[in-house]
Amino acid sequence: CTSEIDDLRPINQETSATVFDDPASYKAFLAKIYAGIAVSGQQGPAGNPDLAGLDEGFSNYLRLYWKLQQLTTDEALIGWNDGTIKDLHYQNWTAGNEFIRTMYDRIIYQVSLANEFIRQTTDEKLNSRGVDASLKAEIQIYRAEARFMRALSYSHALDFFRNVPFVTDEDIVGAFLPKQTNGTDLFAYLEAELTAIESVLPGPGQNQYARADKAAVWMLLAKLYLNAEVYTGTPRYADARIQAEKVINSNQYSLDGDYRHLFLADNHLSNEIIFPIAFDGLRTQAYGGMTFLVHAPVGGSMPLSEFGVSSGWAGVRTTKNFVEKFPGMENSPDGRELFYTNGQSLEIPNISKFTDGYAIAKYKNVDRNGNPGSDTSGNFPDTDFPLFRLADAYLIYAEAHLRGGGGDANTAVGLINTLRVRAYGDTSGNISTSDLSLDFILDERARELYWECHRRTDLIRFGKFSSSGIWSWKGNVQNGTTTEAFRDIFPIPTSDLSANPNLTQNPGY
Amino acid sequence: TVTDEANIPLPGVNVIIKGTTTGASTDFDGNYTIRANTGDIIVYSYLGFIAQEITYNGQTSLNVILRQDTAQLDEVVIIGYGSTTVKDATGSLDRIDSEEFNKGAIVSPENLLAGKSAGVRITSSSGSPGSGAEIRIRNGGSLSANNSPLIVVDGIPLSGGSLNAINPNEIESYTVLKDASATAIYGSRATAGVVIITTKKGKTKAPLSVEYNLQASVGHLTDKVDVLSASQFRQYIIDNGGDENLLGAANTDWQDQIYENAEGGIHDLTISKGFENGSLRANYNLSNQNGILKTSQYRRNAINVNFEHRFLDDHLKVNLTSKGSLVDNRFANEGAIGSAVFFDPTQPVEGSWGGYFEFEDADGTVRDLAPRNPLSLLLLNDNRQRARRNISNIQFDYKFHFLPELRLNVNAGFDYEEYEGRYFSNAAAGFNNLSLGQRPGQGTYDGVNKNRLLDFYLNYKKEFESLITGIDITAGHTYQRFYNIERNTDLDTSTGDFIDNIPIPFQLILESYFARANFTLDRKYIFTATYRRDISSRFSKANRNADFPSAAFSWLISEEDFLKNSQVVSNLKLRLSWGITGQQDVGGAFPYLGLYSKGDDKSQYQFGNEYVNTIRPEGYNEGLKWEEASMYNVGLDYGLFKNKITGTLDLYYRKNKDLLQYTQVPAGSNLENFLDQNVGETVSKGIEIGINATPFRNDNFSWDVSANFTLSDVEVTKLTLSDDPNYPGTPTGPTLSGGVGNLIQIHSLGAEPNSFYVFKQVVDVNGRLLEGVYVDLNGDNTINDNDKYRFQSPTPAAFFGFTSMMNYKNLDFSFTFRGSLGNYMYNNFRSANGYADAMLVQVGNLHYGNGSTHALETGFQTNQQFSDLYVENASFMKLDNVSVGYNIPFEHINLRASLTAQNVFTVTNYSGLDPEIADGVDNNVYPKPRTFVLGLNFNF
Repeated sequence: CTSEIDDLRPINQETSATVFDDPASYKAFLAKIYAGIAVSGQQGPAGNPDLAGLDEGFSNYLRLYWKLQQLTTDEALIGWNDGTIKDLHYQNWTAGNEFIRTMYDRIIYQVSLANEFIRQTTDEKLNSRGVDASLKAEIQIYRAEARFMRALSYSHALDFFRNVPFVTDEDIVGAFLPKQTNGTDLFAYLEAELTAIESVLPGPGQNQYARADKAAVWMLLAKLYLNAEVYTGTPRYADARIQAEKVINSNQYSLDGDYRHLFLADNHLSNEIIFPIAFDGLRTQAYGGMTFLVHAPVGGSMPLSEFGVSSGWAGVRTTKNFVEKFPGMENSPDGRELFYTNGQSLEIPNISKFTDGYAIAKYKNVDRNGNPGSDTSGNFPDTDFPLFRLADAYLIYAEAHLRGGGGDANTAVGLINTLRVRAYGDTSGNISTSDLSLDFILDERARELYWECHRRTDLIRFGKFSSSGIWSWKGNVQNGTTTEAFRDIFPIPTSDLSANPNLTQNPGY
Repeated sequence: TVTDEANIPLPGVNVIIKGTTTGASTDFDGNYTIRANTGDIIVYSYLGFIAQEITYNGQTSLNVILRQDTAQLDEVVIIGYGSTTVKDATGSLDRIDSEEFNKGAIVSPENLLAGKSAGVRITSSSGSPGSGAEIRIRNGGSLSANNSPLIVVDGIPLSGGSLNAINPNEIESYTVLKDASATAIYGSRATAGVVIITTKKGKTKAPLSVEYNLQASVGHLTDKVDVLSASQFRQYIIDNGGDENLLGAANTDWQDQIYENAEGGIHDLTISKGFENGSLRANYNLSNQNGILKTSQYRRNAINVNFEHRFLDDHLKVNLTSKGSLVDNRFANEGAIGSAVFFDPTQPVEGSWGGYFEFEDADGTVRDLAPRNPLSLLLLNDNRQRARRNISNIQFDYKFHFLPELRLNVNAGFDYEEYEGRYFSNAAAGFNNLSLGQRPGQGTYDGVNKNRLLDFYLNYKKEFESLITGIDITAGHTYQRFYNIERNTDLDTSTGDFIDNIPIPFQLILESYFARANFTLDRKYIFTATYRRDISSRFSKANRNADFPSAAFSWLISEEDFLKNSQVVSNLKLRLSWGITGQQDVGGAFPYLGLYSKGDDKSQYQFGNEYVNTIRPEGYNEGLKWEEASMYNVGLDYGLFKNKITGTLDLYYRKNKDLLQYTQVPAGSNLENFLDQNVGETVSKGIEIGINATPFRNDNFSWDVSANFTLSDVEVTKLTLSDDPNYPGTPTGPTLSGGVGNLIQIHSLGAEPNSFYVFKQVVDVNGRLLEGVYVDLNGDNTINDNDKYRFQSPTPAAFFGFTSMMNYKNLDFSFTFRGSLGNYMYNNFRSANGYADAMLVQVGNLHYGNGSTHALETGFQTNQQFSDLYVENASFMKLDNVSVGYNIPFEHINLRASLTAQNVFTVTNYSGLDPEIADGVDNNVYPKPRTFVLGLNFNF
């Protein structure tokens, strides 16, 4: 009888000992690492979630990443009553905030997934399973992609939390207490990792759509170098400029003719997007991700058919302070202004009321011809999220140059003006070398890249996120107030502090 | 004069001449007078004493000494792997017989027990027909693991789930095992206590008996939640600057629309016959119960057959029991309950969406985020399930020929259930809100639950006339295997294809060795020790085995010389026990193994032009092991005044350590953020008092009362690895209405599990609530979630039950009260619907929603769901049932008619419909009906 217990094995479920009997499992596992930032679990749109402790739809990587990067700034606020969600905009979050906690968990989860992939695909393991040479060669690229995805998530950890538990594929799965790293060490690790995989990954645009290539590495490095001073105290602007230049000079990417096309259901056709988070209305479904980004900003009198959705979730709007970044505000000649104002008020007396504050009609589940996406029920969009796109490389170049990173002023202004010609439809919005200042760059980044998960990082780099910089409802007052500088990084969640005695809380919390 | 053995006069003794109605009763001095003829037989009877018959020989006075009847103490109690007597029991256990069960049209066996035993709480949270109830013995002490007791039916431990397959009328008795001395023989499944159910069996040498029971019942809604009426609502919208044009002209009470009176009928037919060497008993039960929420329906066909035969001069007893049931359920869409609260009362019921009104967008489609017509949610949905279940076992009990004190008992049994269900809905229904080419969701599912058991034990039992006056030793082995699987097929609403899931069966094997030894010294001192070794497939090989010992001592003080002749104390027994039990029920079958799960076709990821199905490595915990509880118990069993008053008193202390908790893993150390882990500790304490008394009894009238009272307390004494004082705890409980994913409860160090975690509401000098103003508890001048505090919990501090049974000649009258003190409830109906924006601010601003009248009292504009305002004291006292019956004796047939009311009334200050909801969150709960039952019982 006892041997019956020993022999009991799962049915219809693979174990780590059997799953790689099928060679297709390697690709399926790699796909999971990518899908980890798009969907919330193994059933679309919900079910069998990756993470516990928060509503599954909320636990989605992109949705949390967006909330932490956007709701904490002047670009976005939300009216819902979901737990501590309003604390993000009020900038009075605590170490118990479940959105911050789940972002932290999600980031480290991605790291753990990638670690497991790398552990399972060592030469030793592949040889012992008799993997043939061509698959083995392909798996070398998979491994580099897994390392890229791990670096991507660690870069978010660095930006949000700085001092996170540090685990790599050298660690084992099981009961141990990871050690805490710091900004300098984590930065150095990421730089080394990304440099190491650069040579293994296919050239720009040479990998399959939505998979990482060299240009994705360059973009990630450019962003890391641009913020290196914040992360480590040591500026690396020249390196930022060099990486941005690599992207620009690869000539694989070009600005989309119409700014609005970058955010539509067929934006995979855009040649401007370097690395997307891919969604599909039928095959990649989630309540977070683009479903959130298309539904949540729709409410009031906004016509649903224009957005290709069956419902608006009436949550996210923007502040007056952001509207004012556009000359002429809602009637700006700058075509990147996509405000919806009908029935919406500029001021926000009641944060819970959708019609208080201008709405933003940026992300839509219709293609450039206005046809709705593939999910006829209008729930799940086809729209991909443009995580890295060429315009950002232009702006990084210009900023790095201004901050002493070398390069050429005329090139910088030229790149900016390319963006502004697209925005204005003509040269009327063009600037001259003398107009190019850091303040201009910060505002131009907002105008170009708003709601694309850049704003918090940008404001911190410019010193305007917490102890300076005021916008509606910051600090939980309608006209806004400053907060304390320690809020430039998020707290280590108390849940992990209590589970891992090796960790120390970030200062101020 | 009639006296007892100690020569004390007995008043109120019945003296009757046999075969006549001539009788008398003794007076206070035990004297009596009666006219009798020589040769008459005079019968003396008195409660708690053995009746005596004396033939009258013409004496002028007849003095009789009645001997005390100790039968009550010799009453057999079924315990784990054997039986004992009340007198010999050393553990804390409570036997509840069918006569003591709650009366009424009871479909779920759990409800028979409500209020009947100290330390045992039965909470049925739903009024849905056929819904079960939560049983808690001594509160449980686990956080994430199962807190429900192990249920053993005729020797077969069930794997949880519904007890509905068992016909409540067929239950002979319940034995509730509470302390570790009684439960440790069930080892790894016993931490939350054990309930042993024994079903009715035939009797040998009994004539053919036919019994038929009929119960017809009607239930009705007792109360509705307080929402604005149509006219109030219209006025409210106008007064608050709303757009009157968005309102309708109707006057609809949506709650009236969705509820109806619910009829039910129970037929129960039993035939039994005893033979020289055995017996046969068969029962058929048909229970039909409609719910008060329209379209909910429950029907059970059940048979129970028992056959017993004795062979080899009674040395071998074979008992076969088989319980079969066929249960049909129609599940109402309970979303209608919330929708009826929220739906605009000025809108009509009828309209163009499958016959029902719905809010429409300008383009004529159903407005996506508007609520759905409550009635259409019920009447246009069809969701049914049929379950077949058989629980059978065959038991061999062999007394060895050469050594009759030695018995071998073998029990083989199974619990097999298969079920299938399907759901579909009307395509025209507004809630389907179909776009072009889309089909309404539908699907089927079916599953099988298997549970097989084989156990045997040897028992040696003998009484001696030496220092050791009794020995009772049992040793055995048990093996149980579980296998559950469910398949489902759902329609892909856009493609029209049916998609099958890949079922992953649940598998579990438990194997155990157990032993119990019982020694009695000098008929007064009883020692019991038990031991169990459990082996569970749930854990890795290194952690698979665990030992669960227990020891107990009891002292029959009333057998001592100084009490033997006491007039007051007729029975007194002190019990001391200690033991360790385990808990291994954490859901998953292989939590220690590294598994991979496949992603479905909707969670693919795009690689170029292909979409790749994913696989995901799952987290695992190789070191996972049993949760362990050690329990200490001190008990006293007493009988006073010739056992006119009997009862028990128990004190316990239990520490659960290595709690199985589904909790945060150190980030980065595993492949999930939450895993089942052995972390934490809880301490539970309690006092349990049970009293049974017979205030009055004579031939014509008797009155029995029983009462129980429990004080209990649970506290989390360790929660996490590091016990960081800044860690507020692990959020838990059901998600709330109002916002997404919000939890109101928390497990925190030093607090009761499931404590409410809320802001402290500020009230101004005039007692007016200040909206959104909370006390800055940590004094940092900002209000954020660090200012929340733990305020009470749903677990009662005390609870009680009181039952009274009276018989006057052929008339009987009984009732049961039950109550609870210090249990708190979060009123989620008020928190989610009791503010202005809940009514005025809707997505799109093209319709309004109704709300709680509480909004008028608070004047709140926005959602304030984390205010402690909504945590209310839900202490209550409830008249569970009251019943009147009359026996009509005919020549060859007994007829009994009864009238019972269930859920009669509840006394409480709680503002919601029902103060008794197990998880402590009152959120659109299916209301429990008040039911009247007419019962007829024929006995041939």
